[in-house]
Amino acid sequence: MTTSREKILAAAQANKPAETPLPNIPDFGGDASVERFTAVLAGIGGRAVWVEGRGQVEQALRQLFPEARLVASPLFAGTVAVDAQTPTAMLADIDLAVLQGEIGVAENGAVWLPEANMLHRALPTITQHLVLVLDHRRLVATMHQAYAQLPGTGGYGAFVAGPSKTADIEQSLVIGAHGARSLVVVLY
Amino acid sequence: MSHSLRAATFVADAERTTWHDETLWFVRQKRDKAVYAVPEFQELRELASQIKEHTLSRLDEYLKQFEAEAQLNGVHVHWATDAAEHNALVLDIIRQHGATRIVKSKSMLTEECHLNPHLLAHGIEVIDTDLGERIIQLREEAPSHLVLPAIHLKKEDVSDTFHLHLGTEKGNHDPQQLTEAARQHLRAKFLAGEVAISGVNFAVAETGGVVICTNEGNADLGVNLAKVHIACMGIEKLIPRLSDLGVFTRLLARSATGQPVTTYTSHYTKPAEGREMHIVIVDNGRTQQLGRPDFRASLKCIRCGACMNTCPVYRRSGGHSYDFTVPGPIGAILSPNIDMKKHSSLPFASTLCGSCTDVCPVKIDIHTQLYKWRQVLAEAGEIPTAKKWSMKFTGRLLASPTAFGMGGRLARTGLRLLPHGLTHATTVNAWAVARELPEPPKQSFREWYQETVKL
Repeated sequence: MTTSREKILAAAQANKPAETPLPNIPDFGGDASVERFTAVLAGIGGRAVWVEGRGQVEQALRQLFPEARLVASPLFAGTVAVDAQTPTAMLADIDLAVLQGEIGVAENGAVWLPEANMLHRALPTITQHLVLVLDHRRLVATMHQAYAQLPGTGGYGAFVAGPSKTADIEQSLVIGAHGARSLVVVLY
Repeated sequence: MSHSLRAATFVADAERTTWHDETLWFVRQKRDKAVYAVPEFQELRELASQIKEHTLSRLDEYLKQFEAEAQLNGVHVHWATDAAEHNALVLDIIRQHGATRIVKSKSMLTEECHLNPHLLAHGIEVIDTDLGERIIQLREEAPSHLVLPAIHLKKEDVSDTFHLHLGTEKGNHDPQQLTEAARQHLRAKFLAGEVAISGVNFAVAETGGVVICTNEGNADLGVNLAKVHIACMGIEKLIPRLSDLGVFTRLLARSATGQPVTTYTSHYTKPAEGREMHIVIVDNGRTQQLGRPDFRASLKCIRCGACMNTCPVYRRSGGHSYDFTVPGPIGAILSPNIDMKKHSSLPFASTLCGSCTDVCPVKIDIHTQLYKWRQVLAEAGEIPTAKKWSMKFTGRLLASPTAFGMGGRLARTGLRLLPHGLTHATTVNAWAVARELPEPPKQSFREWYQETVKL
């Protein structure tokens, strides 16, 4: 008996058009400045904050989120320890997650967040508020440059651009759909 | 029932039709603003088109490569030739885990396969977690747009639905508060979800991974809390390389809603430790479309919805008037492949203005295909008798200078002499339903020309 796999592959092979070339994708250049990234991020509901060095991050966060009770972070001693085995009920109570971003994209305000930096895959979306810490030297202009710098996508990883949002009710923009209600990128 | 008959129900509410038209035009304007801000946008469209064409030209090989890479990543890969097989496969995976609580993020493929009713019939609770999809799920309606599934509803409608199902305050129409109510309601569903079903925006042959784009974060929250992830994809979602995503992520959200990128562009490549990931690859008529040279380019579609936002017919007739999973111009060229008889009126739901083709981020020749489907449908005898004979009659009339000249004289005289009530009788003249006929001129251009040249 022919399997569905064989049927589909045979039909695709029989019906496909003559081969056309795969184009090369140019770099296109572009503006990779902190100013551009900051402006675009603000336009999509996020916020960029500048600190002098990575050592200043914790202090800046205390000012930004004075009321955060349950804070998870691999970057400094938070108030709740999270790893891949942390039960869902505990994750659901987290107020703030502070994670290291790897690459920032100036054209769209996105930050690459690999699984290795997440503590738990669900943490970036289940936390009420999300902070991504990013070295400003890791800003690139476009998505082409971001993908060129990715060593790979690992098991899971996401470009996160601003806070969770929706416009499904009459096209009215509402920040804070299912994921984080706010997103701050701390640049150093 | 034809598109125009279903559209008649929609346009009966003139105020809502105008609102729908203006709202989608606003989305089109946001798209323009985002597009004009990228100097290389037209080059990106050409690249995207070429990448997709190339992928289709080697589709079987990329499918095999994708499968092999995904399996190396520890992902279970399944194949389904049609909707029934897809639904059976998904149900089987759910049953193997003894699960009954399912969270689902946006997937037009599972809509196309009618997965939800199938699961519900087998005692499985399936919750759509995209806000717009949840709204229409509660109302037991179908999505009316690719990316804005509840765009046919006003906030008052949503308020009534949430009051009924989620117990929100009656008469509270505030989108912020309605969204917050949905957030709380769906959080509980996310936390309890055993299996997460998602669609796929892009499947990368090189890595065996799938990419899912959302603004709400519902795919990530659902998938990353559940023990099992089932990603359902049509065979046309493939792209060859990770670097190709640079092109598509720059085009997708800008074309769809005018955003520079979706909030989450998530790459699922391997299951988390101790969890499972399944990918179901579905044909359901796609290889047949691949075999139609005039129409195969429709498989390049990345489901952005730009063609419907710009379409003067879609904007004024609403997504439900198409009665197909994918509405609008792209739906009108995909649907006859699935069922030529049922969807025979859709390629005629167009002015052939070409705006859909102009905004398509992967350069599908949508309006040309609409025109070509009309020929196919006419030859297959799938157009109404009145249309068929009036086309034949008009064809003969326009081909004969004598008949054309006589017809013109007859019409000019007739329009002057006959009463308005007769010339504009909507029973015989559908054109006059909402239009005035022009004032008849004294003579035709031909008569004027002959006179003028004689002088």
